[in-house]
Amino acid sequence: MIDATLARLTASGRLGSVNGILLVFAGWELSARALSGAFLLASPTEVLAYLAQNPGLMGRALAATLAEAAAGFVIGNLAAMALALIVILTPRLERTIAALALLVFCLPLVATGPILRVLFGPGVGPQVTLAALAVYYTTFVPLLVGLRAAPATWFDVIRSYGRGRWTELVQVRAAAALPYLVAGLQIAAPAAILGAMVGEFTGAERGLGVLTIRAMRGLDVPGTWSLATLAAGVSVAAYAGVGWIGRQLSSGPPPVILAAPVSPGGAVGPRRVAGGFAHLALIAVLVLALWTGLMDLFGLNPFFAKRPDDVWRFLVTAPQAAEHRATLFWALAETMAVTLPGYFAGLALGALIAAAIVLVPPIAAVAMPVAVALRSVPIVTTAPLIILLLGRGALGTITLVAVMIFFPTFVACLHGLRQAPGQVIDVFDSYASSRLQRLMLAQVPAMLPAFFAAARMAVPAAILAATVVEWLATGIGVGSLMALSASLSDYGMLWSAVAVVSLTACTLYAGVARLERAVLAVYASEQFA
Amino acid sequence: MAAERHPAAPPEVTCRGLSRTFYGRGGAVEAVRPLDLTFAAGETTALVGPSGCGKSTLLRLIAGLEAPTTGRVEIGGETPLAVRRRAGLAVGFQDPSLLPWRTVRGNVALALRLARQPADEEAVARLIGLVGLDGFAGSRPAALSGGMRQRAAIARCLVTRPGLLLLDEPFGAVDELTRQRLAQDLPRLWEARGTTTLFVTHSVTEAVMIADRVLVFSPRPADVVEDVTVDLPRPRRADIALSDAFRALTERVSAALSAGFAAAERPLAAE
Ligand SMILES: Nc1ncnc2c1ncn2[C@@H]1O[C@H](COP(=O)(O)OP(=O)(O)OP(=O)(O)O)[C@@H](O)[C@H]1O
Ligand SMILES: [Mg+2]
Repeated sequence: MIDATLARLTASGRLGSVNGILLVFAGWELSARALSGAFLLASPTEVLAYLAQNPGLMGRALAATLAEAAAGFVIGNLAAMALALIVILTPRLERTIAALALLVFCLPLVATGPILRVLFGPGVGPQVTLAALAVYYTTFVPLLVGLRAAPATWFDVIRSYGRGRWTELVQVRAAAALPYLVAGLQIAAPAAILGAMVGEFTGAERGLGVLTIRAMRGLDVPGTWSLATLAAGVSVAAYAGVGWIGRQLSSGPPPVILAAPVSPGGAVGPRRVAGGFAHLALIAVLVLALWTGLMDLFGLNPFFAKRPDDVWRFLVTAPQAAEHRATLFWALAETMAVTLPGYFAGLALGALIAAAIVLVPPIAAVAMPVAVALRSVPIVTTAPLIILLLGRGALGTITLVAVMIFFPTFVACLHGLRQAPGQVIDVFDSYASSRLQRLMLAQVPAMLPAFFAAARMAVPAAILAATVVEWLATGIGVGSLMALSASLSDYGMLWSAVAVVSLTACTLYAGVARLERAVLAVYASEQFA
Repeated sequence: MAAERHPAAPPEVTCRGLSRTFYGRGGAVEAVRPLDLTFAAGETTALVGPSGCGKSTLLRLIAGLEAPTTGRVEIGGETPLAVRRRAGLAVGFQDPSLLPWRTVRGNVALALRLARQPADEEAVARLIGLVGLDGFAGSRPAALSGGMRQRAAIARCLVTRPGLLLLDEPFGAVDELTRQRLAQDLPRLWEARGTTTLFVTHSVTEAVMIADRVLVFSPRPADVVEDVTVDLPRPRRADIALSDAFRALTERVSAALSAGFAAAERPLAAE
């Protein structure tokens, strides 16, 4: 029965997406007409007119942004593949590499931008680096899962012929990982555009991000909307394009990416906890050593390249350390006060609406393609619109964070709800049980792994969204503090903010991951058996 | 508590012109060719036939989980859907398909819930004991062997006291000794309740031991090549397998199975 529903879903997918997109545009045009005079919302027709009037300006900016995004896409994904290969070939290093990768992923991109700017000087360096940073983790995680996705018996076959890891990699893992790699690359395409634009927000000469800031500052409503539409459009196109190429290469989409990037360790109980702390200490030492070592290696100027001891002095031992701490932590608290509500609202709405929608298959058929398209919109680049619509208060930021979290969660949950095995659904059907019962007893529990995977990845995304809005507009929180520090060349504060925000993001991520483990130990025990 | 519920009277099952063809990428696969079959109320029928011949498909058609390409199924005069709605049947799937996040007890109790029957801890515990999982009521499926999972699935089928039992290789992954024990104990349970039972098995001995009637199928598309009535007295104990009557029956079933194979292979063997 569910098969029939799914078949109908896919058959009507194309129609559904056309209908859905028409609906979105119709709603947009209508609300713009209704709000005309409020100077907030430009209608699709105005956007088209604006784009038609400024083809040269828009075209050059788009070309600049796309070039940066493409370079970052290639570099970031190559880095992700290299990391994943190292982990697979040397499993001992896995925990360490995964932890370092996570830490880099948790770097607040908005503050990294200005630091990179002084390092690289003028040019595209920072934008390309941020684009690479924005993509590598979302490729690394699914790729690692994919490289392990083959059933254990396949590896037994390889080993029974006395062959080793390299043969495993070539014969089994590479093939098993391809659909996962495609899924990762697909998400990476719009993420690279997002990274490039965040780089442009924090100071660049050309690109869509630069024009966006200019339009926003000049209260140019049609311009702001046109730029956001253009960025969203090319992102959806990039997502669709990579997906199309991927479909030519691999046989089908992977099952939802379930496993945490770090496989559950061997030891249990107190020994595992002790091992965890020892490992944490090792990571900390490694990070500090890398941080200092790289700076020494490149001989960076200590005025803007702060080292760990500088940050320590700034926050702990300097005469004004208490003031610095108060400023930084107060700003962080302000940011968290908008990030957390938005984060939880986005997660809850994503999961609830996905669950509700599978009860009404025709709606799911329309919602799914629209959600997939909207997920690929780099929401952060639409921050100026949300500020135009909802103002510079907390509500605007919370909404942006929630929207940013909503789409990936919603799509992951819709996929997750389909993970309930057909045979289990057969059992429910053999008692002619209701859709609601099937949802609550079989589909929602089967959805949990996908939900938690989304919740984990959403932590840095939520912080990114909040800090971007603060940087651009609201003037409060740690994003605004970073903007101020960058413009005042207060590099002590900037580096301290980067360190504290990264640490906070990692801690929250680890918290979600721990909760995920506890829940999945019950609901997806086969993954941990 | 359990005694208060009236077990449904066992229904007669009829299939009229029932067939199923799968249309896939590789073209059409006729899994079941039009069949006319009647299963008498309260009778136990074993379905044997080569792998892939369409036995599972036939059970799913009878349960209404698969839409027939032609023909129809009636269970005591009702449609399969109507029977499922009042939990008048239970299916033991080839794959035990337990919910991985529920314990054995939770999985068995789930059937009562899906069947809209009152929770009955005592019945759940008794059935878990009957299938020999006493110490494992609180374990999750991941901690059980394949055979133990199958036994949990059998307990889940029986707990709702269905009038019609459809079992697809219920003992497939169970060891030989437990298999013999279950083959002796379980029929007693459904006989006492009066259940129409259809079960698929690859073991000819088991078919003759448990069933009142053995249907032998040809290779795909499933068609009946032999209909054997097993008129051995009940209850049947293990030593009945040594009797001449038993041996004659198993030989007849085996011969029919080989004949089905031979018929299917004739084009290959032709010189
Ligand atoms: N959903 C399906 N889609 C396409 N073909 C199917 C489907 N289900 C079964 N078939 C085909 O129908 C035929 C019969 O399958 P079925 O599972 O009924 O066999 P079976 O007799 O139960 O075999 P086994 O003893 O191995 O369990 C097979 O050729 C199979 O490939
Ligand atoms: Mg079968």
